[in-house]
Amino acid sequence: MVPFMSEISLTVNGTKRTVKVDDDMPLVWVLRDTLALTGTKFGCGMGVCGSCTILEKGKAIRSCQISASQAKGRDFMTIEGLSKDASHPCQRAWLEEDVAQCGFCQPGMILTACGLLREHPDPTDAEIDAAMSDSVCRCGTYPRMRKAIRLAATALRTQKKP
Amino acid sequence: MSATIGPARNRVDGRLKVTGGAKYSVEFEVPKCAHGWTVESNIAKGKITAIDTKPAEAAPGVLAVLTHLNTPKFKPVPKKEGATGIRNEERFPLNDDEVHYAGQYVALVVAETIEQARHAASLIRVSYAPEEPLLSMEAAGDKAKKPKANNNENVQVNKGDAETALKDGSLVGIEQTYLTPTETHNPIEMSGTIAVWEGDQKLTLYDATQFVKGVQNILAQAFGLPTENVRIICPFVGGAFGCKGAVWMHVFLAAAGAKAAGVPVKVHVTRRNMFVASGHRTPTRQTLSLAATRDGKLQAIRHVSETLTSTVGKFTESCGARSTGLMYESPAIRVEETVYPVNVATPTFMRAPGECPGTYALECAMDELADALKMDPVALRLANHADNHPTKNVPFSAKHLKEAYQLGAGKFGWAKRNREPRSMRDGDLLVGWGMATATYPAHKRSAAARVQLRANGTATVQCATHDLGTGAYTAFTQISSEQLGLQFENITFELGKSDFPFGPVAGGSNSTGTVGTAIHEVAGLLHKALAELAVKDSKSPLFNLKTDDIAMVAPGRIGLKTDSAKSDAYADILKRASKDSIDVQSEMKPPEENKKQAFQSWGAHFCEVKIDPLLPRVQVTRVVSVMNCGRVVSAKTARSQIIGGVVMGIGMALTEETAYDPFTGLPVTRNLADYHVPTNADVPEIDVAFVGEPDFAFNPIGARGMGEIGITGIAAAIANAVYHATGKRVRDLPITPDKLI
Repeated sequence: MVPFMSEISLTVNGTKRTVKVDDDMPLVWVLRDTLALTGTKFGCGMGVCGSCTILEKGKAIRSCQISASQAKGRDFMTIEGLSKDASHPCQRAWLEEDVAQCGFCQPGMILTACGLLREHPDPTDAEIDAAMSDSVCRCGTYPRMRKAIRLAATALRTQKKP
Repeated sequence: MSATIGPARNRVDGRLKVTGGAKYSVEFEVPKCAHGWTVESNIAKGKITAIDTKPAEAAPGVLAVLTHLNTPKFKPVPKKEGATGIRNEERFPLNDDEVHYAGQYVALVVAETIEQARHAASLIRVSYAPEEPLLSMEAAGDKAKKPKANNNENVQVNKGDAETALKDGSLVGIEQTYLTPTETHNPIEMSGTIAVWEGDQKLTLYDATQFVKGVQNILAQAFGLPTENVRIICPFVGGAFGCKGAVWMHVFLAAAGAKAAGVPVKVHVTRRNMFVASGHRTPTRQTLSLAATRDGKLQAIRHVSETLTSTVGKFTESCGARSTGLMYESPAIRVEETVYPVNVATPTFMRAPGECPGTYALECAMDELADALKMDPVALRLANHADNHPTKNVPFSAKHLKEAYQLGAGKFGWAKRNREPRSMRDGDLLVGWGMATATYPAHKRSAAARVQLRANGTATVQCATHDLGTGAYTAFTQISSEQLGLQFENITFELGKSDFPFGPVAGGSNSTGTVGTAIHEVAGLLHKALAELAVKDSKSPLFNLKTDDIAMVAPGRIGLKTDSAKSDAYADILKRASKDSIDVQSEMKPPEENKKQAFQSWGAHFCEVKIDPLLPRVQVTRVVSVMNCGRVVSAKTARSQIIGGVVMGIGMALTEETAYDPFTGLPVTRNLADYHVPTNADVPEIDVAFVGEPDFAFNPIGARGMGEIGITGIAAAIANAVYHATGKRVRDLPITPDKLI
């Protein structure tokens, strides 16, 4: 099959972008190669590792499982959009607990945690396990990630109080 | 001692890593970069008889198709004494028609987009004349080799008369065989290289590597270029665990593809190919025979280890020499190692190569012996503790293993353990407590460093070393702060470029000590250079003194060693000399050998498992790991390294296995859905503690490194806990539920 190129418009981190790419190109490649937003990582290509996780309407989704044509007209947030200065409560908690090691899976982990905390502002251990256990960190940062999620949850709840 | 080393610092690269700002190798933006896609052999042994590339060449966007028929010959890379770089697979890609293993690259397509490259690669038709491959130890029996040494270290150990002691009926003996499967590193960042040529004489590679200087040297030789014409750039590595230490075939392909296509080329190894083309840990078969007196004194240990290697590499995993060869005191120790070359892709170092599977087998056997003796497993280990290296007969430096057992047992509550299997319960769940010893040698290599000190009190320190997620940026900033006498915040440590002074492969837990020593040396040179300015300056309190009498006396000050009141500030010396900055660089020299002592790190793991007897899935619920690695340079990153080793050990014990098709030799687990690495719910809280003191007999930093030791012993501790919980010994990893039913 000869690849079919289309012009596709989508919103990324609040900015409308138009790209000319293969219809079937996974969104992760559109973000990384076409838009040079390399904070979103490619780890498996089959939706099992979580390193390509981004947010859509606050929900964590896997950008390797969405084709460019499916992404048309939708609105996504990548790690670069969460904050550039690491000021988002999840990023701050990640720094506080010194979670990252090699760092490669961490943008996906942070955005997965953002998705979890939107649904469960005060997550139980079981909810953390359930939300985080489809994401792979080979350095083994899991215990610190759990601490960071609890810390971020507290910060987010405090922030929301009037 | 200054407080810059040791305290918990958050990693200096943390902010980049939580904002997506850290650039990994294939993420560098290179204009006009094309994409390479590989075609792999589907036979394990034979010859390529024909290869039809015409449809691929005619496909849209294709810039070049490389096969063995048109790829220029790479120049040989002779193994020279002191030469830099690692090639576990000792061949070049696309230089002949031979197939040595399934999954071997047989063609590379370069196209404008990755989809075009992939599509064109699918159009290539390869014909083979297959031959019968050797795929198992049994099949390769005739070709078995017994290597004498591994890395200049004897691997066939023979002390005393093990055979007689093992036949002595008055002793308590056990003999068991333990199996470990092929394991694959699977860092989340896959290997990858962007190759950029300037003309045909200058090459830059953005390469995911643990060894920038090694890649530089090998690529320079393979392409017949002066070393300085090849540059390697790798500021961040997304995990490696050994699989990015050697130069693998894709690196040569990226450079050859870029040369042929006349544009930069990116070859990003697929996850599928990470199971073939970037190494793996060989499967092992280890038979342990132990004999001890009734009070638990070992009289003989025999460790027979069998492993695989490929037919195009010599990598061997020395399980016995690196565990039984040094762990316990015994009048008789015998280690045999046999390696079988098979038509499977080349194995490589994976976190604690040798020590990791070796301690698994030995420490399970010790648990079985403790059981046979009705003795506590910690007591058995204490009864056989080796103050001296058991075969080299020199004392271990700063060992502190007994303290590690004691502290670990105390933290864990080991005294409450009921020795009987199946005796402990939590409701319906079976509870098991197990322990094992951890060990890893202290390696040192050569390195050099460069420092620029500026009059404003800031400094940049450079070395061609690497941060694989280990915390090297942070640890070396801390060491630089102490050694240079400057504020932590005022130091920028740079690594990951071949332009910098030599750094060795970031492997074998050698970086902290080796690069730390280079920083120590360059700091001395900096202080000397400042002293030379000061003694010539009539306005300096150090005027006319001898430089040899001057050293750093306080942070930011050099002064008279015998009277630190006579001192001068770095900033003042530079200002008076009208210098904005001063640059010094250390020279590489062979590491100082101390043969009067043996240098080895030690530790103890204690763990708890809970198992539902109806569906026996093993859950690790608690781990206490106490380590002695000499000086802890950076408390947080050190702790994270040990936790990381334990987590990978949980995978080794319970879930990880790369399975092969017995007829084609191709892995059938080739993705992260089939190869199960531990995730959040598999990993409990892990309590890490350190004992001991800086090992200054080893190096001036006192650090022995800690990248590997965390994974040694942990699989045995878990297997022993599973036995304690269930009464069932599973001697082939991973311990999956089916083996417990």
